[in-house]
Amino acid sequence: MSSALGIVSFSGSHIYVEGLQDYRSIGAFSFLGRYRAIDFPISNMTNSGIDRIQVYINQMPRSLVEHLGTGRHYNINSKRGRLHLLFPLFNGSNPIYETDIAAYMNNLPCIENAHDEYVVIAPNYMIFKQDFDELLQKHIDSGADITLLYHTVDNAREAYLNCDMLTLNRQKGVLSIDKNRGNAKNRNIFMDTYVMKRELFIELIQKAAKLSSMYTLPQIINATCEDLDIRGVAHRGFFAAITDLKSYYDSNLSMIDAKTRESLFDEDWPIYTRTNDSCPSHYFDTASINTSIVSNGCLIKGAVENSIVGRGCTIENGAVVKNCVVLHGSHIGENVHIENQIIDTFAKVIHGQEIIGAPEHPGYIRKDDLL
Amino acid sequence: MKQNNMLAMILAGGRGSRLHELTNKVAKPAVSYGGKYRIIDFPLSNCANSGIDVVGVLTQYESILLNSYVAAGGRWGLDARDSGVFVLPPREKADSDLDVYRGTADAISQNIDFIDKYDPEHVLILSGDHIYKMDYSKMLAYHNSCKADATIAVIEVPMREASRFGIMNTDEEGRIVEFEEKPAQPKSNLASMGIYIFNWKLLRKMLLADMKDSDSNHDFGKDIIPSLLNDDKRLYAYKYKGYWKDVGTIDSLWEANMDLLDSDNALDLGDSQWKIYTEDTTTLPHIIGPDAVIKNAYITQGCMIDGEVRNSVLFTGAKVGAGAKIIDSVLMPDAVVEEGAVVTRALVADRIRIGKDAIVGSADSENIELVAKRVKGAE
Repeated sequence: MSSALGIVSFSGSHIYVEGLQDYRSIGAFSFLGRYRAIDFPISNMTNSGIDRIQVYINQMPRSLVEHLGTGRHYNINSKRGRLHLLFPLFNGSNPIYETDIAAYMNNLPCIENAHDEYVVIAPNYMIFKQDFDELLQKHIDSGADITLLYHTVDNAREAYLNCDMLTLNRQKGVLSIDKNRGNAKNRNIFMDTYVMKRELFIELIQKAAKLSSMYTLPQIINATCEDLDIRGVAHRGFFAAITDLKSYYDSNLSMIDAKTRESLFDEDWPIYTRTNDSCPSHYFDTASINTSIVSNGCLIKGAVENSIVGRGCTIENGAVVKNCVVLHGSHIGENVHIENQIIDTFAKVIHGQEIIGAPEHPGYIRKDDLL
Repeated sequence: MKQNNMLAMILAGGRGSRLHELTNKVAKPAVSYGGKYRIIDFPLSNCANSGIDVVGVLTQYESILLNSYVAAGGRWGLDARDSGVFVLPPREKADSDLDVYRGTADAISQNIDFIDKYDPEHVLILSGDHIYKMDYSKMLAYHNSCKADATIAVIEVPMREASRFGIMNTDEEGRIVEFEEKPAQPKSNLASMGIYIFNWKLLRKMLLADMKDSDSNHDFGKDIIPSLLNDDKRLYAYKYKGYWKDVGTIDSLWEANMDLLDSDNALDLGDSQWKIYTEDTTTLPHIIGPDAVIKNAYITQGCMIDGEVRNSVLFTGAKVGAGAKIIDSVLMPDAVVEEGAVVTRALVADRIRIGKDAIVGSADSENIELVAKRVKGAE
């Protein structure tokens, strides 16, 4: 059992995923048909022996709360461990006040009353695999005050916009944390993942709250870079930040490639999720499918290519689904031809028509919509 | 228990020896079925969906896997307060030595103390070997409306097959007047499904008497039902309509899986109002490669398909290599068919590997080939 308290944070108000986020927070976004984004940070924690986990929920809580439930499916010891859902009470109608610091201040007693020496903080909108126990050990061994996890990318001009990035010195000391504005291609994207002593964490959030109501955790840490020993640790393996429709679409479809998939999923590092008890999927004689990932409970009569199909979808006779992310419960009617789209849950596309988007700008079909 | 005052006992001790190697290490109720299920998921889910929340499972043959499997009652939602799935293997008692269950009735007799603890009004006796969906609360309502002492679920079978079953002869009101085990000249086609509701007080008395009877086989069909009829008790037949299968042989297990490929099959596992619950595995959704061909198939999570699958059922974690062909076959959990191999009319057991370019089974075989050992492929 780890000596760290796990904290799952939410995406700040600078991130908005068109369409999808109108219905749920990014942590509740479906990933690869079967999972939700938040399954990754929580499974990373429980696999690392972190059994006491606080999940901060800022907006549209229904689908996230439904999914998390008691947290039993995450393999948390039901007596010693706990999945604690915390709902900050943001006052004021301006989203600028809905910061992570405000959420932590709002629930300060829950953080103060924890007994763990350390905190490990990870976001609910980034998909990656990380052994936090190993990261904690690295942190302790280095003697640093704060350890930050980052991923080096070479496409920061067009991707990871609005994410934070780290500027490091040669010894991996963090010099600053700034926003990625897309003005260089090689960047160290900050994964919103922190390790520090719980006491220091409390000190920082109190200090930030005093300085400005708009302050965020990365901002206060940036402001203390000169006084504290803050170090970066590079992450290896698959990394995706879901910050817009394109990154959501790409990260899902990228899983079709075996090598990419294996850099995220590992038999010895299971990703837990809530079971829906769906029956297996049924392919009919008329089906034709390749290069796809399909969840249970589907009825497939048409053609599917290079797509992710969620639980309980129906693809009718003569339909063609290509380069799509189809979320659970959707229905693609007879002879519908649909390409480069994200189809949100329980949408019905039934009238024979062509809906073809550009792969660079995938289209979005609303939840429960009838087309 | 409070809901309907009925407790269920599932008889799950049988080996199912005609399933050959499939039941070498596990009892028949634990055999896999339908892609992601085990046979015992059906009676357990039926109980949960019928509002029965205390279930005893009587295990005997090769029970390690079965015991640990059913003990996790949360899988079927049977883990609320005063609810649970209780594993009941034979045990040593203060007043008797450790003994095996000598018959279906004896298995219940040896657990009278367990049932008494709950003091139910009715006891539902089920078999752990059958695939079907049934609302037992409707059967209980029928039992009560008939003021019956015992009610037996029956299914109409084709007359020519009736002599393979225990047949109930009833009067026009559905009261059972005669029971015949595998009659040569059947008088009716109402076959017993091995599902009984008894008034517990009466059954308890019968079981105590049966335990002392040295001539008894301690069997519900052979002893308890005939002596209830002898005593002129009110026994009623509850007619069940729908899918019901006893998968006693490799051929019938294969057939029951193939039934799922008919989209109008009466079992309808996709019914969201009567789900069958099972173990939750952490596998990925199934992954379909660029050259895959899938026609008429039932496929579940954890599968990886790079070859061709026709008219087949693939269980959790089954893998089909590039160029391999699976035709009219069943691949059980984690079975692997390597590149270029061809599997026809076969049932490949759990974790069995079929090597590269190997050929298994044939299209014109009379029986389904059970593959329970590794098949070596080309080097």
